[in-house]
Amino acid sequence: MVKHFGWSALSALALFPAALLAQQRRITGNVRVEGTAEPIAGAIVSVLNGSAVTQTDDQGRFTLLLPSAAQRLRVRALGYGVRDVATPTTDTVSFFLSRAALTLDQVVVTGQATVISKRNAITSTSNVDSAELNRVPAAAVDIALAGKIAGANIQTNSGAPGGGAQIQIRGSNTVIGASDPLIVVDGVIYSNASIPSGLYTVTGSGSASGSGPTQDDVANRLADLNPNDIVNIEVLKSAAASSIYGSKAANGVVIITTNRGQAGKPKAHVTQRLGWSSLLRGPGERVLDVATAEQIYSSPEDATIIEGLAVNGKLPFYDHLKELAGGNAPASETQVDVGGGSGNTTYYVSGDVKRDNGIIHNTYAERQALRLNLNQHLSDRLDLGVTSAFVHSNSDRGFINNDNTGAGMTYALAYIPSFVPLLDANGHFRVPEFTYLGSNPLQTAALGKNGETVNRFTGGATLNANAWSNDKQSLRLIGAAGADIFNQRDAIIAPPELFFQASLQHPGASTLSNGDARYVNWNANAIHTYTPGSLLQATTSAGLQYEDRQLQIARATARGLLPGQTNITQGAVFGEQQENLSTERTIALYGQEQVMAFDERLTIEAGLRAERSSVFGNTSKFFIFPKTGASYRFPDLLGRGSDFKLRAAYGETGNQPLFGQKFTTLSTTVIGGNVGTNVAGVSGAPDIEPERVKELEGGFDAATWGGRATLEVTAYKRRTTNLLLNRTPAPSSGFTQVILNGGQLSNEGIETALAVQVVKHGDFGWLSRTTYSHDHSNVDNLPVPGFRPPTAGFGLAFGEFFLQPGRPIDQIIGQTALNPDGSFVVGYMGHASPTYQMGFGNDFTYRFATLSVLVELQKGGVAQNQTLSLYDCNQLAPDQATPEGQARANACLNTGLANPFVQSTDFVRLREVKLAFALPQRYAHVFGSSDVQAVVSGRNLWLHTKYFGYDPEESNYGQQAITRNVDLGPYPPSRQFLFSLAVGF
Amino acid sequence: MLNKIRLLAATLAMPALAACGNFEVTNPNQPTLDDLVSNPTRAKLSAAATGLFSRSRSEITSFIWRLGSMGREGINLAGNNQPDYQEPYFGPLSPSGFGGALWQSRYGLIRDANTYIDAVGRSGDLSAGEKAVSTAMAETLKALAFMYIIETRAKLGAPVDVGRAIDAAPAPFVSEDSVYRYVISLLTDASGRLQANPSASFPFPVPPGFSGFDTPTTFRLFVNALTAKANVLRATAGCGAPCYTAALNALSAISGSFLDANNPSNLSRGVYFDFSSSPNDQANDLSEPLNGVRYFADSLILYQKVQSNTVTGALDQRLTNKTAAATAETPQSISGVDITGTLKFTNYFTNGQPDPSHGIPIIKNEELILLRAEAEYFTGDATGALNDLNFVRVNSGGLTPLLSFPTQAAFVSALLYEREFSLLWEQGTTWIDARRFNQFSTIPVGVSSGGHVPTVMPIPAAECSARSLPGNCSPLGG
Repeated sequence: MVKHFGWSALSALALFPAALLAQQRRITGNVRVEGTAEPIAGAIVSVLNGSAVTQTDDQGRFTLLLPSAAQRLRVRALGYGVRDVATPTTDTVSFFLSRAALTLDQVVVTGQATVISKRNAITSTSNVDSAELNRVPAAAVDIALAGKIAGANIQTNSGAPGGGAQIQIRGSNTVIGASDPLIVVDGVIYSNASIPSGLYTVTGSGSASGSGPTQDDVANRLADLNPNDIVNIEVLKSAAASSIYGSKAANGVVIITTNRGQAGKPKAHVTQRLGWSSLLRGPGERVLDVATAEQIYSSPEDATIIEGLAVNGKLPFYDHLKELAGGNAPASETQVDVGGGSGNTTYYVSGDVKRDNGIIHNTYAERQALRLNLNQHLSDRLDLGVTSAFVHSNSDRGFINNDNTGAGMTYALAYIPSFVPLLDANGHFRVPEFTYLGSNPLQTAALGKNGETVNRFTGGATLNANAWSNDKQSLRLIGAAGADIFNQRDAIIAPPELFFQASLQHPGASTLSNGDARYVNWNANAIHTYTPGSLLQATTSAGLQYEDRQLQIARATARGLLPGQTNITQGAVFGEQQENLSTERTIALYGQEQVMAFDERLTIEAGLRAERSSVFGNTSKFFIFPKTGASYRFPDLLGRGSDFKLRAAYGETGNQPLFGQKFTTLSTTVIGGNVGTNVAGVSGAPDIEPERVKELEGGFDAATWGGRATLEVTAYKRRTTNLLLNRTPAPSSGFTQVILNGGQLSNEGIETALAVQVVKHGDFGWLSRTTYSHDHSNVDNLPVPGFRPPTAGFGLAFGEFFLQPGRPIDQIIGQTALNPDGSFVVGYMGHASPTYQMGFGNDFTYRFATLSVLVELQKGGVAQNQTLSLYDCNQLAPDQATPEGQARANACLNTGLANPFVQSTDFVRLREVKLAFALPQRYAHVFGSSDVQAVVSGRNLWLHTKYFGYDPEESNYGQQAITRNVDLGPYPPSRQFLFSLAVGF
Repeated sequence: MLNKIRLLAATLAMPALAACGNFEVTNPNQPTLDDLVSNPTRAKLSAAATGLFSRSRSEITSFIWRLGSMGREGINLAGNNQPDYQEPYFGPLSPSGFGGALWQSRYGLIRDANTYIDAVGRSGDLSAGEKAVSTAMAETLKALAFMYIIETRAKLGAPVDVGRAIDAAPAPFVSEDSVYRYVISLLTDASGRLQANPSASFPFPVPPGFSGFDTPTTFRLFVNALTAKANVLRATAGCGAPCYTAALNALSAISGSFLDANNPSNLSRGVYFDFSSSPNDQANDLSEPLNGVRYFADSLILYQKVQSNTVTGALDQRLTNKTAAATAETPQSISGVDITGTLKFTNYFTNGQPDPSHGIPIIKNEELILLRAEAEYFTGDATGALNDLNFVRVNSGGLTPLLSFPTQAAFVSALLYEREFSLLWEQGTTWIDARRFNQFSTIPVGVSSGGHVPTVMPIPAAECSARSLPGNCSPLGG
């Protein structure tokens, strides 16, 4: 929507009163596609170094009042090459633009309501358009972005259907603060909350107030956004770019724009997809003979069991993972959209129904989305844009991740030897003789329920007013408001019939959770443009922005459920109740100056945002987030038509304290039937401030070979100070933790993006894109001794995260060797984030066929592979008999060394493959359609890694700034194939 | 046009005005400390007082089994928590494990008490008399917390000036004697406030365990009992006779005492911590069924020590009343530890059944009589000491009376025996007394080899590191 601000405003600019202008002439004309002569709607025609500008209508027509001094015109449109032409001598004119394979002239955001052409931007920019985003459908937008943005480490947390991924931009910049980027959809701040389902009440992964909720295999709610509606995603990575969002922008900002209708005849698209998912990889089973089994299970009783299971002295072999997750899970999606408009109104309506079954029985994710976007031209001076979306999501992600009760399905697999059948001769579930706390994962998959329902409304409105203008100046006013509201309901049901529940005091559990999120934001902006002559163009903007965010989570559990009942009233014991409401309000004032000079060669920007928030200790203090930067273009430096730009920018952003960090609370206690209060263990920081990121970024953008090759190189150095931390005070203070600001960490890195239209010859085209990003983090200093962050891991014998100065923020340390005296050497074992990541995207087109391939590579990171440690400690890894396998088992059972369990996450992954055939138009017309496309696509088809088990991208603790690479009984990863038929009318 | 601009400006400005000034978002989830201190209403103070009573007991079961393990009264054999028997039986005590316990939560209570006293002082709702008796209650529970702390750290001392800002330097450690002196001063102050306001009533509910001690006048009897105990403990920490005299004074009828050495049925009269298994309440987790596998009485050592009635031959009935045979299917044992899991404590049973709501004594008449016996003996009244000791020995233990104490060693030995069995699994008395009278050699090690009876619990690791001192620090030196 932000982009829309600019465009509507520009169109409004064309409407200034003719009476004000002297010595002008009116030209009319149209803008069309080179070759096909199709009209281009929304193209911008402007006077170079002047303020006169207009936009084409749905027929590609425009009218422009031309000052007599005008020398040259510029014609541009999204997705087309830019064209500068001499002022026509005639009053009627046609311009032709060619479709750009590499769009150099995208519009990028510079403020709440201001944009700039990408070629003039002072910071590095990352845009992903609809075609690239939706090349191969994904469960959620963040997953679809993987491998496409240099500088964004996008990692899936789980293989479960329905999403669950995290985006980390330019490294970890916080310890206990929020780690998600800010998501803005059409100007509405969009919640990407991860609301725990309450699964921990069944898995016993951790306590309600501790690590339990983070281990619920949560889907972050970006999953509710229908990727098919998106036309563009812009990622603000640098602090200079994101500082316009102040204290919520330290982790970057993802700006998403959805589709708008074009005036004219309605255009409709119907897309039907069908396919399936299947297991990508897993740990495998150890083949055991009777003698080996009796070594592992060594009691006389065990020997009797083992011999009882043997047939003719040989143990049977069951592939339990295949039994659990070996099938083909169907997937389908239907999207219908219609866009069009007439008179002063344009509209876009879409509906989407998607269902992905999970590869574990009874798991699935479903999403039904409805969107209506409207634009209304109210008067010569006033434009209104409205967006609205309603989404209903359902899912069941199964019982997964860390487990202390026998609930976790893949966790239990690590305990069940391959010779133990999970089904009896009649196909009924049986209690495995050797397993974890009675668990039979097939029974858990069949009977356990992890049902989640989300209902969500997101909507916004923007009012654009062209308040005043003359030939040198214009003033626009823009007001926008939006709301994002959803309810998430989770019902976890573990029926009493489950074998792992049977031994509990109260078998059978039902946990009901309710999450209500409400985000509201509005802003008011004034933008003044001043164009005194050919040498200067200055845009001054100022505004006010208000944001209000609220999230309420409530939960209760019943245990000792009546058989067949799921309602939380149908149990013997009711309680474990939780309720938490967090609120945050921010108001910000900002001002910004953007100057272009020397025929748009030089761009200088400076801005300031002042912000006060309810989560700061001092709620009346305004915190200032400045930015500044400049770029200079050298046109034709690398040959005619080429462009080379140097840029440098500095900016500051923040990361807000979490709700509650400023309060010292009282806890509740009961004695003698009376309720009382105690001072809680955590001492809040009444003067808490936001974390502050200061970043210097520089680089160059080059476009050459007639626009067929572009290269962007950016280096950055960011320092985060005033970190949100907790320290352990002297216990005699009566507190266990103290929240404070302090310390410093830094991230340095390089990002490059290379795009080359390698071949463009007749019917054949080959477009290649490569992204590379490298980030290195360092903890510069801490005001507290080195410490384990929350959810650091499971002990030094398995590797744990540990923060200390002079080391990467996400380092893992562990027991790496033995000293002569028998004590352990605790040493550095690596860091979680990869040293570098690369994405290789290639599109090959021949006539009506397109083949697209995206390969992703990462190197240099490590993970805590606790799934492996389970297999090794149980001596059930498939390679346990090899010297390497024995060494690992020995590390777990005897020596206590962590080395085998901190594993490299290096991989090469075939992330996306797509083969598309477009039916030639003359055949398409036969069916009454304008275009028909048949597509075969695959996601996650192939993974090459030495990592043991499931997927090197796993996060037991979900969204985490630091402790993300912990693999412990995850949902297995899958590959997905889809056949799609898309028909346009 | 101007009108339109005005309209627009007004439209844009309205929400701006509406939103300003609403940034003081309070915490809707829990009460806050700030609110209690800045707006101390009667109801909030009452809840805070309840919190003090509640937290006062929060470490008592841990105190009993930990000190009980070190004094070989019993053992925690829960197999999954090795340090719980490893450290007290084999040593050394770890300042970040078993040995670092019994500190944090007591200081939490002290923080609560200091906050409460501060808030009471600011309250406009309470009368002067109510303020005085409220403060006295908080001072008493605070003093009790310091007693529990110094009983475990003894010569290592402890910080007392802890009511300071969280970003101030940690409070300095003071000596064992100074801690007791501070405890006694708190109790003396409390006693004085209570005595001066006999007609005031407590502006908070007093838990049922204080039944009979729940008005300012009767609560003062409890305060004086604690004063006597603090003086006796201080006496053996170096103070000697003057403190014993002060203890006798606190126990005298003139000062106000509930000591009763005449009526055997009053031996268990006293003040108790309350427990229950209601939500948010604390259960008495020492009350474990006979087939439970966690806490066991140290049968070998207790049976070695226990005496029998020389006339009837019956065993000391305190042991037989407080223990019963364990019934766990597989008897619990730990390799290298002689103690077998054959005997369970039943002193927290009601009608023969485990009772998680069973109270735990803070101080009771039986203890007061033994405190007086000790103070009498060491102030030259051996006869009084003999009478008091025999009163407990005969009525509580069912044993034949002693005739005399031929030596001081004989008295100490007799006193420690009576205290051990009268207060068994209630107070950590065996271990504390072994230190008070330098009798560690009388505590059997209880393990086949490499055993160890700790003499003092270390300063918790976090307390040392907050002072930039190495682990196992001794902030007072030495």
